[in-house]
Amino acid sequence: MRREATMASSSALRTEPPKATAGAGSTSTAAFRRKRLRRGIGRVGTHVALLAISAFALAPLAWAISSAFKSDTEIMTNLSIIPSQPTLDHFRVVLRESNFGRWFLNSLLVSLGTTVLAILVGSLAGYAMSRWRFRGRGFYGNSLLVIQMFPGVMLAIPMFLLLTKFHLIDTLWALLVTYLTFALAFSVWMLKGYFDGIPREIEEAALIDGTGRLGALRHVIMPLAGPGIVTVAVFSFLLSWNEFFFAYVFLASPGKFTLSLGLYSFIQQFTTQWGNIMAAGVLATLPVLVFFFLLQRSLTRGLVAGATKG
Amino acid sequence: MQDTIHLENSPLAPKPRRRRARRGGYRKNLMAYGLILPSLVFLMAIVVYPLSVGLLEGFRYHNRLQPWLTAFNGLDNYVQAWGDNQVWLALRTSFVMVVGIVGVSYALGLVSGLLLNHKFRLRGVYRALMLVPWVVPPVVSYISWQWMLNDQSGMVNQVLQQLGLINEPILWLASSKLAMVSLIIVGVWSRFPFMMITILAALSSIPDDVTEAASIDGANRWQIFRHITFPMILPVSVIATLLQAIWTFNDFGLPFVLTGGGPANSTTPLILLSYKEAFQRFNIGYGTALAIISMVLMLALGAVYLRMQRREGVYE
Repeated sequence: MRREATMASSSALRTEPPKATAGAGSTSTAAFRRKRLRRGIGRVGTHVALLAISAFALAPLAWAISSAFKSDTEIMTNLSIIPSQPTLDHFRVVLRESNFGRWFLNSLLVSLGTTVLAILVGSLAGYAMSRWRFRGRGFYGNSLLVIQMFPGVMLAIPMFLLLTKFHLIDTLWALLVTYLTFALAFSVWMLKGYFDGIPREIEEAALIDGTGRLGALRHVIMPLAGPGIVTVAVFSFLLSWNEFFFAYVFLASPGKFTLSLGLYSFIQQFTTQWGNIMAAGVLATLPVLVFFFLLQRSLTRGLVAGATKG
Repeated sequence: MQDTIHLENSPLAPKPRRRRARRGGYRKNLMAYGLILPSLVFLMAIVVYPLSVGLLEGFRYHNRLQPWLTAFNGLDNYVQAWGDNQVWLALRTSFVMVVGIVGVSYALGLVSGLLLNHKFRLRGVYRALMLVPWVVPPVVSYISWQWMLNDQSGMVNQVLQQLGLINEPILWLASSKLAMVSLIIVGVWSRFPFMMITILAALSSIPDDVTEAASIDGANRWQIFRHITFPMILPVSVIATLLQAIWTFNDFGLPFVLTGGGPANSTTPLILLSYKEAFQRFNIGYGTALAIISMVLMLALGAVYLRMQRREGVYE
């Protein structure tokens, strides 16, 4: 809002000088008109560019949705994005003739588990990072950042050997714990950032009232860090829902697959039946897309606020 | 690992309010250690322990098909890597991928960020649409790209043919040179939203009066961008670029799902080669050594990143 106001005043400033200096009417209005025309062209150009970029961004998903609703013959011939005779056949095939339901459930379990634990474990550690200057704090914080730079393969090879040794290979637990660790790498930092913004005085009052540190965290701090928790939840969920590499290395039996892995196995199973593959892809994208558009506004606001304060 | 927008939590996150350090003895901080303990357990189990096992593997001959031959072999794996043409080719591929994807996605992110840095109707809609690549599960989008770029029935070739721009279908994924181009296009598609949102955040932190003053002084738009806007978003740009370079280098899913590393290994970056050695040719030792080489390269970039980030903090 404030921004809009300053923008308005700045544009007023920019158009004023010619009017004030020129005095005589005709030249100034001509210049004014030319300026307005140029600005109009600029605005059209902006929208053309933005539309082109948005189309690029949207293309694969839009085409996947379109293909999912086209019949097998239409899919090869019809280049229109709107199917001429929409059909649900591909969705039926996917839901009936594959493990799709099972994979969906597996992904949901792992993702929800990761999200809940990332918030719980992350808020404890984030609280410690925010309120104490303990020895090793810097090292601990940097280690979390460094984890995000490790090549997955570097961890996956030894983990594969270890999980095999402990008979945990091909279980969803192995995946849950791995995703949790990567989710913690950002959840601790993000929650610490939000906790930093909450004045100590508020929790000190709670401490005087006899609530312990953990009580203060739970009843005073956490409710105030709501937007941060939402952001962490969305990131953790997206991370686990979309992850492919570790799932590919750790899981072997189709009944244990997560969605990403199941979809990949679809290319082998259905080779060129693009309609089926795309229908499965659309179904797998739906939850994250809904999630994203519901929270989009608060998410980007949270991101931008976090980013600009720095 | 899957790259979510980590950037804002680290270098750009709200800075701690500097209080006098509460560095007491261990007793006073006991509670803090208790609070980080659960996360430490996971870090130890998932990162530290496997990492130390992996570091040992990198100095052994270990082939899962001949487990009886497993033995410590010093630097042999690295000597072998030095003389291995595949490794050099893979390093070159990694380099081209990183430079191409990060460079172009930064340019596209910058353009979209600048275009979206005004209040206008539909701004939120555009921004949401451009963030879609960031949300769609990578496997889904890579498969969809594969379908769009298919030689015979793919949408891209069919459209180009109907427009009369080409006579023969273009082999987007089946020819060595174009496979790399396709990989970069898809990589740019998946990474520019991050650049856009980061640059947008940096742009919105530039006070309006600075650019206003410049425009009153007669600076044109290009001059304002060149001398004010760009220098002010430069630090964030460098950090975002570094992070993206690291994530692109480590990206396994993109080449694996889109091209499978082919044709003829032309799109096999070092990460994928390391995976293939360890899991398809069962050379655990050699594969790990290649992973260690990747890790060292990334840690070097990572060190620059951490330093940049700290310096940013000082300037504040």
